[in-house]
Amino acid sequence: MATKETTHLDETIPEEAEAAATFEELLAGRDVATEPLWRIRLRLFRRSFAKNWGLFTESKMGIVGLIIIAVFGLMAIAHPILMSTVWDPVIYDPVSGYDAVFTEFTIVEDDALVDETSEIGITDARFELNPTVDVGDTVRIPAQPAPPTLGGEEGRAHFLGTDPQGRDIFSQLLYGARAAFLLGFVAAFTTVFIATTVGSIAAYYGGKLDGFLMRTADLILLMPLLPLLIVLSAVVQINMIMLGIMIGVLGGFGGDAIILKSQALSIKVKSYIDAARVAGGGDGHIIFRHIIPNVVPLSLLYMMFGVTTAIALEATLSFLGLLNIQMSWGIMINTASTQGYLLSGTSYWWLLFPAGLAVSFLAFGFFVVGRGMDEVINPRLRAR
Amino acid sequence: MLRFLTRRLIQMFILFIIFLSVVWLLLHLMPGDISDTLIGDPNIPLSTRLELQERLGLNQPLHIQYWTYVTNFFKGELGVSFSRYPQDVWNILWEAIPRTLVLVLTATLIAYWMGFKSGKLIAWGRGGKTEQSFIVGGIFLQTVFYPWFAIVMLWTFGFFFGWFPIGRFISVGLWQGSGFDASSIFQQLILTTFIAFFVYLGARSIIKRAAPTLVTQQRLQRVVAGLIILVLVAFWYYHPARTYVADVVWHTVLPVATLGLVLFGAVMLITRTSMLETLGEDYILTARAKGLPKGVIRDRHAARNALLPVVTSFVLALGTVIGGAIITEEIFSWPGMGKLFLDGIIVSDIPLVAGALALTGVLTLFAHLVVDVLYTVLDPRIRIS
Amino acid sequence: MTLSMENLQTRRVDPNQPLLEVDDLVMHYKIKAGDVSAVDNVSFTIHQGEAVGLVGESGCGKTSAALSLLRLLPANAEYISGQIRLNGDDLLQLTEEEMRERRWKDIAMVFQGAMNSWNPVYRVGEQIREVLDTHYRGEMTIEEQDRHIEALFRAVGLPPEMAARYPHEFSGGMRQRAVIAMALACSPDLIIADEPTTALDVIVQDQILRELKRIQAEMGMSILYISHDIAVIAEVTDSLGVMYAGKLVEYGPTSEVFSRPRHPYAYLLLRSTPSITGPRRKLAPLEGEPPDLLNPPTGCRFHPRCPFATEKCVVEEPPLEEIFEGHRVACWNYEEVPELERELVR
Repeated sequence: MATKETTHLDETIPEEAEAAATFEELLAGRDVATEPLWRIRLRLFRRSFAKNWGLFTESKMGIVGLIIIAVFGLMAIAHPILMSTVWDPVIYDPVSGYDAVFTEFTIVEDDALVDETSEIGITDARFELNPTVDVGDTVRIPAQPAPPTLGGEEGRAHFLGTDPQGRDIFSQLLYGARAAFLLGFVAAFTTVFIATTVGSIAAYYGGKLDGFLMRTADLILLMPLLPLLIVLSAVVQINMIMLGIMIGVLGGFGGDAIILKSQALSIKVKSYIDAARVAGGGDGHIIFRHIIPNVVPLSLLYMMFGVTTAIALEATLSFLGLLNIQMSWGIMINTASTQGYLLSGTSYWWLLFPAGLAVSFLAFGFFVVGRGMDEVINPRLRAR
Repeated sequence: MLRFLTRRLIQMFILFIIFLSVVWLLLHLMPGDISDTLIGDPNIPLSTRLELQERLGLNQPLHIQYWTYVTNFFKGELGVSFSRYPQDVWNILWEAIPRTLVLVLTATLIAYWMGFKSGKLIAWGRGGKTEQSFIVGGIFLQTVFYPWFAIVMLWTFGFFFGWFPIGRFISVGLWQGSGFDASSIFQQLILTTFIAFFVYLGARSIIKRAAPTLVTQQRLQRVVAGLIILVLVAFWYYHPARTYVADVVWHTVLPVATLGLVLFGAVMLITRTSMLETLGEDYILTARAKGLPKGVIRDRHAARNALLPVVTSFVLALGTVIGGAIITEEIFSWPGMGKLFLDGIIVSDIPLVAGALALTGVLTLFAHLVVDVLYTVLDPRIRIS
Repeated sequence: MTLSMENLQTRRVDPNQPLLEVDDLVMHYKIKAGDVSAVDNVSFTIHQGEAVGLVGESGCGKTSAALSLLRLLPANAEYISGQIRLNGDDLLQLTEEEMRERRWKDIAMVFQGAMNSWNPVYRVGEQIREVLDTHYRGEMTIEEQDRHIEALFRAVGLPPEMAARYPHEFSGGMRQRAVIAMALACSPDLIIADEPTTALDVIVQDQILRELKRIQAEMGMSILYISHDIAVIAEVTDSLGVMYAGKLVEYGPTSEVFSRPRHPYAYLLLRSTPSITGPRRKLAPLEGEPPDLLNPPTGCRFHPRCPFATEKCVVEEPPLEEIFEGHRVACWNYEEVPELERELVR
């Protein structure tokens, strides 16, 4: 029981514990005065980071999430490198590339046609190819979408096949990772920026300003996000960065601002804020040097969930064909479904599954990392 | 309670006006005026365009236009659809609302009921493989790319196994010449379910007063619930439109299950967290010291309190529900408000889009009100102060 | 139906008859870092109608000891050895279901912080009814239950109509009275009162303790008080045990332990607070921190903080020895404690 209480104590008040540590160092005679401030800060940061990292790694899910994000990150980095070295842009460009992959088809009777990816009916074959072919012949037809090929003597490698327009899916998938990260980070940083600013200002000044900001937040929280974005995308041409900023503003000014405001309120009443004020610190100084740095860790948590939302929203809007974007995972699914492969299922699995799973997994990764961080910040959720 | 309700209603009215204004602003961001879109449409006569311009006040200054728009809404005049000229938008939406409500309400209720149950159970039996797999599954459902998930569900159960129909909400051939109207059947389905629910509530309160012991109370409640379900099923079984009702239900299962599953994941995770927090409370220790059976501690004490944050969470889940409904209707070709809305966007049918959005706003606010009332009923601390 | 307020009061009490005997109880908490020895070799006896107190600093294992009597410990707790006999039956041998039936019926509990021991969403009366429903399942009609709850409320000095209110409508003192009413519901043999008055102001504290004492005398039940405040429970108990770091270090009649503590820890605990009525003397500070129970100190667990500690204390653990009739002390140097007393008074 005793140990439980003490560990609980230094988990909940990390700042105080850190302060005590430096104080001990002072007593131990380390010459603090000659040490530059940034180095002390760095050391404190490293120490708290190490402890939090230890807590984070306790949840295996968080690690899995990090690995997923890292894999997608590698994919995003790999794409421009591959494009400038191995891949011929004419063939592999995710948007304008084209490769007609020749596939062997067996000609069968019309009513015996079972597998559309390797068989062709006699009527179609005579009509489209050559009136002289007969049942049982094998013909090589350039076809899209083509199944995955590993390359070899005559064809080029398409690890995930090609789409209905003859473009390489693997290249699209890597490019899509880049797009997703770009969008995710724009949205996340906007969220954090808006949420911390609004939250801190509302908490610090209180009164009417607080009331106004919080009512606005309530209102934004109430707005159905997807329909509004759909209308907006029909009205104006939206690209990736604009979408990221819009999601960030709506997300950051809504629920996150309310949560961060309550966090900022709990910091506002701490005694070191009074100390800073007595020492002559102005409003701006207190908000930017004391309140915001203490609110940021929590806002990073919501940033993770924000990335999840942004990725899903972009993919959904792209899937509906409403964004002014050339290529993304959502567009890949949109292409497949508008070209009539919506119910192709496993026979054209490379059209729907890579993109769908990529969106799901990356969102999963960020969500799980967010949960892991939540357990670090919120001790009550931790496994005892 | 009454004062709380009136205050809340006034707040909601203001919120709604703001929402209407945002919709209006968004639609006015479009270049040109709304009626321009009609010029190229050969189906619509020029006189109509002029008449419309007059009625919407499009040749008047902006603030007058805004005023006309708001007052028209409250007069119930949502205008005439461009794409389905000359149908009235209100009539089009009126037909679609019950379909959307059936989809959304059943999915939400089932997801909350099951999500709450399983969240409660995994938090109670903490640790172990079951909990871990439920958590991973829940997170997957919450983060899965919904349109893709819907496509996979449709393909798997509608196409590959062929258990459920692919798309639309009735088998058109079956209904032809039947003399039954799908919309009225839908409305009847909703109505009877509501009646059954309120009959159950009434019976419950009578039982609470009349039964001599708590044990008999619980037993009677279960018997009554069973009886009401039996009567409901029997009513539809002997209903003249039996086959058509079955057809509707058969078409409903897959979209409801798809939307419900995604919600289920979120509800389960929230319940689990909320339940874990509740289990650490002192009154749980008291309940154990009182020698109450495990099930009573779990359900009556822990879960009952864990329910409060779960109910509030519905307000935040509404966004998911609305977005999910739009996607579900699109992929399953379910002719509800979401599908109308998307179709309207694609063909720039502005009156239809504006109408659908405004009604979504009304329904959202109504859902908020229901959650508020439910919360006050569930938490005596709010109810009394 | 045997349950009524009348026969609560006609319980026959034999003060020499042991009600609850705790024998060499050893209990550990298993945590990642190892075993926390929270209760170590604790033995004591509560007789019928007796009021016993357990005191010690927070984290000394007194609450763990109390909870272990009801087998209410968290899942990571493990009974290593010992017996807890209630009217002769070893509670540790019962199945979980048998134990559940005994909780509250035989041993009820008044928890620390009455605020949180009520479930906020149910009326107070309903929460008491729950106990009756569980332990007299199907034996009482709702009307009988209502009458019983009314009687319980009267017995603790609360207006009976308050049973229909919610916990948050009660003041702190009223809530604690209602907790006591609930504890009496099944007329238990023993009530464990864990810091029953900690969160209350002094006047209400006094009222509640008097109430408990009166009820105990009228109904002839036994009470085990748990507190960190030795002065508070000295007033209401017949016997007093002092716990330190999971061990019982001194046990005896309250008057003895309170006026002539023999264990250095008990002594320092008493003398670290000023006494208004006793002789004037210097305050003896209790220095240091309670030990880490993951790796308890060797020998006597108190030796790192003890002013009398010798070589022997570091290596060898002192047994709980009877020094006078009914007064037991676990210390090698208990004879030196009175010396200190003389010095301080001088």
